Amino acid sequence: MTGRQTALYVFRKVFELIATLLLVSLFTFLAFSVIPGDTARIMLGANATEEQVEALRTDLGLDKPLAVRYITWLGGAFTGDLGNSTQFRTGVAGLIASRLPVTLGMSILAFIMIVAISYPLAILSSRRPGKLADQICSVLGHVLFAIPPFVLSLLLILIFGSILKNFTIGNYVAPNVDFGIYLQSLLLPAFAIALPKIAMTFKFLRSSIIEQKASDYVATAKSHGLSDIKIMFRHILPNSNVSSITIISLVLSDILGGSLIVEQVFNLPGLGRLLLSAISQRDFPLLSGIVFYLALVTVLLYFAADIFSSLSDPRIRLS
Amino acid sequence: MNKNSVSARSKRFYIIGLILLSVVVIAFLVSLFWTPYDPYTTDAASKLLPPSAAHPFGTDNFGRDVLSRVMCAAKFTVFISVAGVSIALILGTVTGLPAGYFGGLTDRFIMFINNSIMCFPGILLALVAVAVFGASMFNVVWALGLVFAPTYARVYRSGTIEIKEYDYITHARVMGIRPGRIMIMHILPNLVPQLLPATVIGLANMTLFESGMSYLGLGVQPPDASFGKMLAESQAYIRVAPWLVIFPSMMLVFYILGLYFVSEGMRVSFTKGGGS
Repeated sequence: MTGRQTALYVFRKVFELIATLLLVSLFTFLAFSVIPGDTARIMLGANATEEQVEALRTDLGLDKPLAVRYITWLGGAFTGDLGNSTQFRTGVAGLIASRLPVTLGMSILAFIMIVAISYPLAILSSRRPGKLADQICSVLGHVLFAIPPFVLSLLLILIFGSILKNFTIGNYVAPNVDFGIYLQSLLLPAFAIALPKIAMTFKFLRSSIIEQKASDYVATAKSHGLSDIKIMFRHILPNSNVSSITIISLVLSDILGGSLIVEQVFNLPGLGRLLLSAISQRDFPLLSGIVFYLALVTVLLYFAADIFSSLSDPRIRLS
Repeated sequence: MNKNSVSARSKRFYIIGLILLSVVVIAFLVSLFWTPYDPYTTDAASKLLPPSAAHPFGTDNFGRDVLSRVMCAAKFTVFISVAGVSIALILGTVTGLPAGYFGGLTDRFIMFINNSIMCFPGILLALVAVAVFGASMFNVVWALGLVFAPTYARVYRSGTIEIKEYDYITHARVMGIRPGRIMIMHILPNLVPQLLPATVIGLANMTLFESGMSYLGLGVQPPDASFGKMLAESQAYIRVAPWLVIFPSMMLVFYILGLYFVSEGMRVSFTKGGGS
């Protein structure tokens, strides 16, 4: 019975996933197709000759009907062929892949920092809610949350660069050249992205732990003589899994968005810079490729979060 | 937590929040009539001067007075956040209220589109809109409004679902009042306690986005001042003129933090239990 319900739940989720992906792809495609005026002309600018515009139009398939173009683009997108960048004259998919070490590496580092800092702080802070340690954490959390990541980056550069004098920006090295320096160059940007998210994760985790602590099963566990540590790791944390999975999926998609800007501050050659050059050069195939790719990652993240939540709380898949 | 300490807590949030906010709002209001110097006039003779009595926030690389520019930037920041959130609130009303009230297919359809929009990282969507339609303040406002609308639609929807079960709504329906009127006259006013904190947080989040976009050069366009653009320009001088980074950041953070504190105060005082 439960097995069938689980299968049904997964089936429904997969169906939703496919429908969402189709709609997301349609949005992405339409955003670059409903541009008022002649797309090819806009991309090339006013100085281009009529022949150049005509050539680009044929190149991009703009002379074909909208529906045909969408099907072609969609088919390509799901087989890893996102078309060619008009600016770099190479495949969009390859361009995106070449920038991933920066954006992905930074996101992963930021994520590790978030989990490694917010969990211990939340556990510590919820031990004695309202006491000094808790209050300091809460106020600090509010302040950190209110500083935009790029401002935090600037302040970090100011602190590390001007005062400690041991950090120079713009020394990115590819991971296959020197992995140590690669990590080092991503450390500060990742920290700038992570700080506000640490504050956010801390806040949700703390209130979720405090809520769990007030429940009956904790009192029972205590009266059975279980130690505080055991209660925390065996009972309270597993029970707050669902809310932390939700928060973590939100945080992860925010990290991606935040990294687009922070990369720029630290002058890192990641997806953010690729996106900006696509915007300024009006490279629409590249732009739509990046947008679709990032949305795809986000959709898959939310999907994974749903599945994980239902695994740790069966009530979700039964409702 | 007893009732007294709840109101004391919310009062503390309100006071700190309002003090921070008033710094920015006063700068904004005064800038409408007066700034110490003209924020756009360049002066080669007074480049990169540190803070002094004549220039309390110093001058930038073009010799422009930073205080005047910060006041000017406050104006655009406040305007964009208020205008953008208003658009988001209107769009949220139009989509969220019917979704919650009618339920069924209407709800599924609206929320499906809503959720799909939320699959794009917000800043990305706003950047694309500006990329396609051109960078201008007007485009930034509606793009951000559009990006924030789904969040409000959710607040409206969940509130409406709860309220529509109340007896007085059933009564109104039995009396033959049309759905549109019920939604606007009877449901909407009751959503205010949930909407108010969400609106204030929205102002803060929108400012986070707008400053990021301006930093990238895709928000407020020069010569108009914005905190993001000022910070982008000051980055090259971060070692020789740290005041160029510090003062705009400070004002920007005051505005966002002030809004967060006020919304936190509202949340604590509106939810009677206090929460934590």
